[in-house]
Amino acid sequence: MDPIFVVAVVVALALFFDFTNGFHDTANAMATPIATGALKPKVAVGIAAVMNLVGAFLSTEVAKAISVSLINDDAQKTLFVGVLGAQMVFAGLTGAILWNLTTWFLGLPSSSSHALFGGLIGSAIAFAGMGAINGAKVVEKVVLPALFAPAIAGLAAFLATRVAYIITARTQSSRSKSGIGTGRGKFRIGQIFSSSLVALSHGTNDAQKTMGVITLVLVASGLQSNGDHVETWVVLTSALAIAIGTYSGGWRIIKTMGTGLSEIKPAQGFAAEVATGVAILASSKLGFALSTTQVASGSVIGSGLGRKGGAVRWSKAGQIVVGWLFTLPAAGIVGALSAYLVQLGTFGFIADAVITIAAIVAIFQISKRNKVAHHNLTSEIEGASEVVASPRQVKKAAAKAAQAAKKAGKKKGKK
Amino acid sequence: MFELIDWNKFLQVLEATIIFAVGVVGFFSLGVRLLTNAQHAVPGANKGKTAAVRAEVLNRLGAYVSFAVCLVALGYGIMLVAPWIFGIADK
Repeated sequence: MDPIFVVAVVVALALFFDFTNGFHDTANAMATPIATGALKPKVAVGIAAVMNLVGAFLSTEVAKAISVSLINDDAQKTLFVGVLGAQMVFAGLTGAILWNLTTWFLGLPSSSSHALFGGLIGSAIAFAGMGAINGAKVVEKVVLPALFAPAIAGLAAFLATRVAYIITARTQSSRSKSGIGTGRGKFRIGQIFSSSLVALSHGTNDAQKTMGVITLVLVASGLQSNGDHVETWVVLTSALAIAIGTYSGGWRIIKTMGTGLSEIKPAQGFAAEVATGVAILASSKLGFALSTTQVASGSVIGSGLGRKGGAVRWSKAGQIVVGWLFTLPAAGIVGALSAYLVQLGTFGFIADAVITIAAIVAIFQISKRNKVAHHNLTSEIEGASEVVASPRQVKKAAAKAAQAAKKAGKKKGKK
Repeated sequence: MFELIDWNKFLQVLEATIIFAVGVVGFFSLGVRLLTNAQHAVPGANKGKTAAVRAEVLNRLGAYVSFAVCLVALGYGIMLVAPWIFGIADK
């Protein structure tokens, strides 16, 4: 099989994975601003897309293939040589993509990075056996962060929400006397900034993973001399793929994160976004990688619990956790099956590509039966937060009411 | 399994996340509170009451300072993502 053809197919698949990563993770940044009405759905995904695009270009750090560190050094030396490396990555990507699309169809926020890890682990096992996997690294990089991410972000969001409600609390008599509310609607403005920062950091982190995978394949197949830099076209295409994916908007997951887990009000949304952004930035700065999706989900649950009277739909949260538990093994099984097919030679490789494309098309077709789009979301969002009235608005409303009363009085007099 | 985790780093992330998240949300909330206080003082200020004028100005000023602190935090966040924008070498 022509190595250039294999590499071209793998690069195309990696970019498609990047696209699914984008639309799968739009919710992490934009679910709460959409839920609180801070941003219109289309505007929100537009901002997220631009931020992801910019984020992909921002980092000067050479793309790191964390995913590869899960495979033993010895196995890496035998696997990532020539076309074999490209075939292994191809099989791993099919597992990651199919799991991403399945969880998107079910509306479950799950980690795209973990799906990629799972796919590559399954593929590596099929190619080189169980000994190829660095079990300790899997626990360190995948299992433990999955336990800690929602806990850290959830606790921070819980406390931040509590603080926001305590500081902005105003007695009912004070509110009715002045006609001015608590002002919590102003948190919507803050949400625009906080969610943009989350989208920016997402673009920086996640686009780099695809760049790393593509660079790895290029180096293994001898099309790039060494892996100390990323080709400009790789940066450009990866950035565009994640941005287009983000703009497509994973509405199903946005619905789950924005309205399915808890009813989110502006102050909660702001607290959740800030907790998400801070947790991602602190973890990447301190070298303790956490999944953006798991952090964002934990934040939404934490902010849901932080408001008095706020409730969390634990059944939905349970479904999400089950999805997380299945991510690694499910993507791994698909990756392994795909790898067995690829090892059959040219026929197996083409058959695998055809099956993967058919599965992708089937998932998209089935999803059309129960389509969730930006226009279905708005009905659930309206009335999610209180309206803030300025003194001028209060005066106007009072004048209108007086006029209406006068008119009604005149009508009565005529009768 | 427990020796696989760097507990020191974990505690640092936990600490930093809680302190910064609560801090930023706290300052923004304070800004919202002070801005609403200023709105409450507007009717009195319009009537020329000195105390109300002073309350409006001080509350508004406090609110803007609080929002500025949040903007600085946002800038710090961007600096962590792309230090070179601020002329800092990325390690």
